[in-house]
Amino acid sequence: MKAVLVALVLMAYAFIFAPLLVVVVVSLNGGTVASFPIESWSFRWYGAAFANASFLNGLWTSTWLAVSCTIVAMPLALMAALALSKVEFAGKSAVEALLMAPLLVPGIVIGIALLLSASLIEVRNAPMRLLAAHVLIALPYCLRTITASLARMDGSLIDCAMSLGASRWRAFIHVTVPLLRPGIMAGMIFAFLQSFGDVPVSLFLTDARNNTLPLAIMAYLEYGVDPSVAAMSSIVTVSSLALAVGLERLVGLRRAVG
Amino acid sequence: MAPAAAVVGLLLGAPVALLLSYGFAPGGSTQADFSDGATLENYAAVLGDSFYLNIILKTLWLSLVVTAASVVIGWMLAYFLWRAPERFKALLTVAVVAPLLVSIPVRNYGWMVLLGDTGLVNIALQKAGLVERPLKLMFTDLAVVIGLTHVLMPFVVLSVMATLERIPANLPEAARSLGANRLAAVRLVVLPLSVPGIVAGATLVFCVAISSYVTPALMGPSGAKYAATLIYQQFMSTFDWPRGAAIATILLVVTAMTVVLGLGVVGRRYRHLMQAH
Repeated sequence: MKAVLVALVLMAYAFIFAPLLVVVVVSLNGGTVASFPIESWSFRWYGAAFANASFLNGLWTSTWLAVSCTIVAMPLALMAALALSKVEFAGKSAVEALLMAPLLVPGIVIGIALLLSASLIEVRNAPMRLLAAHVLIALPYCLRTITASLARMDGSLIDCAMSLGASRWRAFIHVTVPLLRPGIMAGMIFAFLQSFGDVPVSLFLTDARNNTLPLAIMAYLEYGVDPSVAAMSSIVTVSSLALAVGLERLVGLRRAVG
Repeated sequence: MAPAAAVVGLLLGAPVALLLSYGFAPGGSTQADFSDGATLENYAAVLGDSFYLNIILKTLWLSLVVTAASVVIGWMLAYFLWRAPERFKALLTVAVVAPLLVSIPVRNYGWMVLLGDTGLVNIALQKAGLVERPLKLMFTDLAVVIGLTHVLMPFVVLSVMATLERIPANLPEAARSLGANRLAAVRLVVLPLSVPGIVAGATLVFCVAISSYVTPALMGPSGAKYAATLIYQQFMSTFDWPRGAAIATILLVVTAMTVVLGLGVVGRRYRHLMQAH
C-alpha cells in the first residue's frame, strides 16, 4: 500500500508541476510554434516578449499597481491590526469580519460592483479605479500576516521600552515595527503577488492604455499563440515561485496562505 | 482600524450594496432606473429561463466535480505530507502550496499546451496507439475541471493538513497494534478525524469554483457557458447590467449559503474534534 501511495503522490506532484514546466519548455523552443518534441532551443522568444508592446505595458501597469496598492494597504493594515490587538469593544468581531470580507466576496463580484460604482460617480481614470480596487484586494493579506506576527509578539517588550523612558512613538518605531517585520514583509510580498496576478477584479476596471499583465497574457492566449507568451509566463512563474520561497523563509508559506 | 474599515466599507460595502440594488432595476441598459419602482423581472428571467438556469446549474455541477477531485487529490497529498519525514516535509509542502501564488492565466496556459490537439497528452496517446486522431480535450468542460482542480486543490491540502496535525502522529500505529491493517487504520481512524478539514477545504474550493472566471474563459467551450463568463457577457458585451447584477447576486447567495452550511457542519457535528486538542 505504501508503494501505491508513493506512486499516487508522484502523479499528484506531476499534475501540479507539469503545466508549469511545459510553459518553460515552450518558451525555450526555437521554432515559431511549439511542437513536440522540441527541435531547437533558443532564447529568442524572451526577446520577442520584451519587444511586445502589450506585454511591456502590462508589466509596467501590473508592477506599479502592485507596488502602490501594497504601500497604501500596509500602513492601513498595520494600524488596524495594532488597534484590534489592544482594544476590546462590542462590534470587534464584526469589524474583523468586515476587514477580511474582500477575501470572501468573489473577485468577479468585487469587479462588477466597483464597475457600477465607478460609472455612477464617473471615475474615468483607469489607474485610479485599479488602485482603489487593488488596495481592497491587498488589505486582508497584509492584515492576516501582521495579525499572526502580532499574536506571537511579546507585548511586555513595549512596556519595557516605555518604562525605560522611550516615548510611545519611539517604542513603536524601535520595538514594535522591528518585531513585526517578518509579518510586515510577508504581508507585502503576499499582497504584491495577489495584486499582480489578479484577473477578475481588474477585468472590469482597465482601459486600453492601462491593461494589466495577466489580462494581456489572457488576451494573447485567446487569439493565436506564439511562444513569446510562454516566455512572459515563464518569467511570471519563476519570479512568483521565488517570492513564495521568500515567504516561506519569512513566516512560513502555510501561515501566509492558509 | 477606522481608516481600514472605512476603505473596506467604501470600496466593498457600498459597491456591493449598489450591485444588489441593480438586480432589482428594469433590465436592458447600463442604468438602474427606479422611476417605475423596483422589479423582480431579472430574477424571473434568470431563474425562469432554461437558458440561464442551465448555465447556473451546470456551473454548480462542474464545481461539485472540481470539489470532489480536489478533495481526493488534496486529502491524499495532505496525508502523505503529514506522514513525510520531518526533513523533507517543509520542502514538499512548499512545492504544493507555492503554485497558488502564480497568476491563474499562467497556470491555465500550461494546460492549454498539454491538452491541445497537438499537445503532449494527445501526442502521447497517439504514440501509444490508444487513439488514432487527437481527442478533443481543450475547450471542453473536462478541460475546465482539470484546470480548476489544478488551481484550487492546494487549498484542500492546507485545510486537511491543519486538522491532521491535531491528531497524535502515532494514532495510526496504535490502530494497527490493535489489529487494524494499514488501510483500515487510515479509513477508520485518520479519515474520520480529518472531516473538519475536508469540509472546510471543500467549502472554499466550491465557493471559488462557482465564481471563477479565468479558467472557464480560457479553457472552456467558446461563448458564455458558465456563471462567471455569463456575468462578464451581460456587463461587457450585451450591456444588460441589471440582468448581470441579478446573476451575480444569485452567485453571491449560493456562496453565502455554502459558507454557512460548511461552517455549520464543521461547527455543530465536529465541534468535539475541533476542541479535542
